[in-house]
Amino acid sequence: MPPYTNLPLSPAELAYLHTSLAANPPIRPDARKSTQFRPLIAERNVLPTANGSARVCFADGTEAVVGVKAEVEKTRTAYSQHDGEAVGTLKEVEQEEEGSKGKGRSEWLDLTIDVPGLRDDDALPTFLSALLAEPLLADTGLLDRLYINDRYHWRLYIDILLLSQPLSYPLPLLSLTTHLALLSTRLPALLSEQNEDPLFNDDWEASTYLYPPTTTQNQPTQTPPVTLLVVSVADTILFDPSKEELAVADAVIAVSVTTTSDTTTNIDTTTINNRTTNSATTPLALKLLALRTIDPPSRLTPHTPGSSADTDAASVWMPPRGGMPRSLVGKVVKACLEPGGVGEEVLRGLEGVEW
Amino acid sequence: MTSLKRPHASTTPTTTLSSKTYLRTLKSGKVQKIVRELYLRQDIPCSSQLCSACLDLQPSGFHKKTAPFVLSPTPAGTKNYPQGHYLVPDTNAFLSAMDLFESEGVFQDVVVLQTVLEEVKNRSLPLYNRLIALTKNDGKRFYVFFNDFRLETFVQREAGETINDRNDRAVRQSCIWYAEHLQQAVSARKSARCPAVVMLSDDRDCLRKAKAEGVTCSTLEDYVFALPDADRLLDMVASSKENRVTKEGKAQLLYPDYLSMSAMLTGVKSGTLHQGNFNVSPYNYLEGTVHVPAFDRSLIIQGRENSNRAVSGDIVVVEVLPKDQWKAPSSKVIEEEDVGKNENPENEDGAAEGIVTEQERRALQEEVKRVHGRSTEGQAQPTAKVVGIIKRNWRQYVGHIDKDSVRSRAKESRAQQTVFLVPMDKKVPKIRVRTRQAASLLGQRVLVTIDSWDRESRYPVGHFIRSLGELETKGAETEALLLEWDVQYRPFPKTVLDCLPAEGHGWKVPASTDDPGWQGRRDLRDLLVCSIDPPGCVDIDDALHAKKLPNGNFEVGVHIADVSHFVKPGNAMDKEASLRGTTVYLVDKRIDMLPSLLGTDLCSLKPYVERYAFSVIWEVDSNADIVSSSFTKSVIRSREAFAYEAAQLRIDDQSQQDDLTQGMRHLMMLSKKLRAKRMAAGALNLASPEVRVETESETSDPVDVKTKQLLDTNQLVEEFMLLANISVAAKNYEAFPQVALLRRHAAPPKTNFEELSNQLKTKKGMELKTDSSRALADSLDACQDPANPFFNTLVRILATRCMMSAEYFCSGTQSYPEFRHYGLASEIYTHFTSPIRRYADLEAHRQLAAAIDYEPLDASLQSKSKLEGVCKNINVRHRNAQMAGRASVEYYVGQALKGRVLEEEGFVMRIFSNGFVVFVPRFGIEGLIRLREMSGEEGREPESVFNAEEYWLQIQGKEVERKVELFQKIKVRISDEAEEGTGKRKIRLQLV
Repeated sequence: MPPYTNLPLSPAELAYLHTSLAANPPIRPDARKSTQFRPLIAERNVLPTANGSARVCFADGTEAVVGVKAEVEKTRTAYSQHDGEAVGTLKEVEQEEEGSKGKGRSEWLDLTIDVPGLRDDDALPTFLSALLAEPLLADTGLLDRLYINDRYHWRLYIDILLLSQPLSYPLPLLSLTTHLALLSTRLPALLSEQNEDPLFNDDWEASTYLYPPTTTQNQPTQTPPVTLLVVSVADTILFDPSKEELAVADAVIAVSVTTTSDTTTNIDTTTINNRTTNSATTPLALKLLALRTIDPPSRLTPHTPGSSADTDAASVWMPPRGGMPRSLVGKVVKACLEPGGVGEEVLRGLEGVEW
Repeated sequence: MTSLKRPHASTTPTTTLSSKTYLRTLKSGKVQKIVRELYLRQDIPCSSQLCSACLDLQPSGFHKKTAPFVLSPTPAGTKNYPQGHYLVPDTNAFLSAMDLFESEGVFQDVVVLQTVLEEVKNRSLPLYNRLIALTKNDGKRFYVFFNDFRLETFVQREAGETINDRNDRAVRQSCIWYAEHLQQAVSARKSARCPAVVMLSDDRDCLRKAKAEGVTCSTLEDYVFALPDADRLLDMVASSKENRVTKEGKAQLLYPDYLSMSAMLTGVKSGTLHQGNFNVSPYNYLEGTVHVPAFDRSLIIQGRENSNRAVSGDIVVVEVLPKDQWKAPSSKVIEEEDVGKNENPENEDGAAEGIVTEQERRALQEEVKRVHGRSTEGQAQPTAKVVGIIKRNWRQYVGHIDKDSVRSRAKESRAQQTVFLVPMDKKVPKIRVRTRQAASLLGQRVLVTIDSWDRESRYPVGHFIRSLGELETKGAETEALLLEWDVQYRPFPKTVLDCLPAEGHGWKVPASTDDPGWQGRRDLRDLLVCSIDPPGCVDIDDALHAKKLPNGNFEVGVHIADVSHFVKPGNAMDKEASLRGTTVYLVDKRIDMLPSLLGTDLCSLKPYVERYAFSVIWEVDSNADIVSSSFTKSVIRSREAFAYEAAQLRIDDQSQQDDLTQGMRHLMMLSKKLRAKRMAAGALNLASPEVRVETESETSDPVDVKTKQLLDTNQLVEEFMLLANISVAAKNYEAFPQVALLRRHAAPPKTNFEELSNQLKTKKGMELKTDSSRALADSLDACQDPANPFFNTLVRILATRCMMSAEYFCSGTQSYPEFRHYGLASEIYTHFTSPIRRYADLEAHRQLAAAIDYEPLDASLQSKSKLEGVCKNINVRHRNAQMAGRASVEYYVGQALKGRVLEEEGFVMRIFSNGFVVFVPRFGIEGLIRLREMSGEEGREPESVFNAEEYWLQIQGKEVERKVELFQKIKVRISDEAEEGTGKRKIRLQLV
């Protein structure tokens, strides 16, 4: 059982935490604001021989390293289905893109997580890798970029290594590190044309970024998705929960967001865009890629047997039940996607990490 | 959190760690990112003898030895740098002017930067090897400075900087450092003269930056211009792109572009394109063939456009043309000097003519007409066009200047002009060369190299290397043919001579049998051994003996010089020998594989002295069947060295009844039986035109030409050598099934004989069976023409040309049935009997010595890949040596015929629609008689009818009217004439 699940907190302490978090404004144990993240230290390109890599340290001592390696692989059969076409409204954009659009395939991505003390097939790593892979796969732009030609593609190995014990739920840490690693990932520049056997420029400096950094202001950036962990306690939502906050959360959801090159899909963002065009930096156009509820560890907290079951007050602490109300989910999504919101703040913050 | 990153990027003056990153594509197609860490140091010396600081600093190696400093304290000065100078050339300087750097006494005190060296390696491996050889040459004073490992000269690549820019900057940085460093060294010595450090570059941008940074620099051309003898030197610089750019605006692209490398490789892999070696037909310079595995017959490439700038010998990628464009091979002789006579080398764009001149088109068009007119569909062979070149196999070519292409003949004229150089090898196109010394090079044999062949140029562009001397002089012609066949003829370097025994000619087989040299050796000094060789032979490889045993059987021994005792694997002498591969015999000269101390003395099985030998001893019954065989290292004393004729006389002389003569008679008797058995097994008796040139002993001027005579004693030696080779091959293969060095002769594919058997059938009604070597031998025997005793030999000569060539190989690379030697009808074969003159034999000796547990097998002989490399090289060397020998004979035959007019018998060997090839057995020469030469008027062909199916040519000229048929015996007049355009002497045949 991961250590973050059984905190040595008494029912009274749990109840106290719950109450202070439910207050308006919420009082978090480390005095953060509800959307504020814990300080973290990050650096990219820590692994010299990987195509891209990053390392992130959270203030609570958890630490992760992600390495991304790309390998040329022969495509087994000629492609037949267009995975990306479900979106439907992308026709014009598709015309302009070169032939790679919609040719990416999900098996080209290989994501593994290594958590110390846990086996590969334990529930936590398996679940985490599914959670992390999901937005990457949903963002077909990534897979399409792995397309070289009809006969060859890149196979991307994302190796995630948690260096410390999983003191708090490691999803945000791993997601941020993966995001950074992918941002720094470069693929060798292709010299050959069309369907020839691929031949690459041997100059590493000439290699291209998997997510090319923006050059002009107005061009929407392509960024890898980032998955944020949000908890709800009563009516408040809290971003980046610490392990104590997780222990009393009513519900936990993971929200994956990314920037989008397409401004029509999200009406909210377009309208908001119009409102804020005169601000110095163009806000990022964000889109929601995935949203998942996670079984909160608070469910496993001990239920204190009350003196009598009929009064609420009698019970000091009741493990929460049920999920997150729709209204709260809406609030979370809005907080993530709105300009100047949490999503933009996180993405901008990570973009600024030194090379 | 402390950063985990190694601080590669930040090179503050104190950090000594840096890195460089690059990508490597593996054979499997995978791409690897490689990061190399660089540890920068400060003790890499400048190697100038001016500097004492570096002398103290320099790390010492094994035995506290330090490398001596290379650069002279008083380097030579020039007009521009009177105080003396060190040169720091950049990559392009080496790439474009390697010949210049190599030429004696011109460039000295050169700093070769590591950056430059690596770039040269990436761009051209052969040039890199030449540069490395230069740096090892003591007299040249070339010093490799590892600038990328020295802290002060290391340059970190900046963001967005191209590799080239970074490397240029590294060169400049090194120049700055050298200049400063020398300044310090000089002031420490309190001497006034500080040599300049001159950077050589042709990159304008780099020169500009260098000037801004205060680096002394010069373009290559400016630098050379200031040297004495600049004209000759400037010709050695490859014509740079810069010079050609001026005309680019109007230049027309004559040739189609090549495909990209990746497109070619993809095409070859998927089978839509084919890769092969480009060979030009010796009779028609516009037609080439490429043999590719996918087709039985070679693909034909016709015309300039299809051959698309490929030069004979290049590895090309071709695309097969559609079937309606398939053709029969040309039946016409087209020579470049006839067709392209009036071309002007200055006319670069050739826009008026396009890629194919009018004459050429006409020459080819008749061709097409004729082929179309014929109904035989099966004759058409697939044709192809070159779409790209995998590897250029350009080498240095020997040739002469086309006299007509020289505009001003005045010797003083220093004007630069473009001239055509006609290579000696007819398969190589004319080379356009810019020179200032055209007039003085006229009538000389010159060495040139091809630099490039651009799309806008009809002919390749090259530059002069040096002149070999006057045409027709013996020295120049001999050197020319050695160069043409890539024979190493420089004297053995000191490192090789150091491997010789210290005693020199005084070396003797140790007297005491306790000496380590005797260990494992049998004492065979009491055997009556003798050697039989051509007259005047000094490198005696083999000796023989035979004696009758009490049981009626015979003991026969073949004793081979024990070269492997003197040449240990892996030392300098062994390396040199493996490079040379074989001794090359020219008419008046022998280019040895081993230093002559070994070849002609210590190893040579000279008579009356004791020598180490490697002996193969058989017991054979009177039917010449082997009862048992043994192999041993031995010591022998040859009783006599016979020439073939002397041996024959001795055997025939019944008055001689001594044991030695008796032994020789036994050998003779056994050899005849062996030969009969071999013939019965289907060995081929092939023939090649062999002549011997008799020379005057003093001047070695040719006096007469004789065809070689074959005596029974020749065959005696041959039979036993074959037997020894076969026995050793079997033994080596048994001991080392994976790495035995063997020789095989593949059965020729049936298609090779198609033409010949068709010719025999239609002309003589004879049939050539080619199912097996036995069938072929029998049908060759049956090819007799009672009226014409030479006819049989002629057929054999032609049949030999249809064969594959025998080759050395490593047993692990082929399956056992493939080992077969077709010509000898032997299952397994190797070369063992001539270790003095063939490297393969030496390797076989080493393997046999290991097989009999005499010594352990050297590691180099246990590795299949290494052995394959050796085989590949000696196969090439072997062929080249044969070619060089033949060319030498040809030259001397020409010299012997000089000024004479003879009438001789000849045979028609091959018929073209505009001429025929005649073979003159008396001199072993083959010559072309063209119809054009038979009409009275110059340059006009008489009317003629050519029948390709029946191989005859009817000439209906005004004066001559006759029919020439294949295999016909005709009389020809042989004379020699100096060719007008070139001043070159040529043998000319005329029909009488």
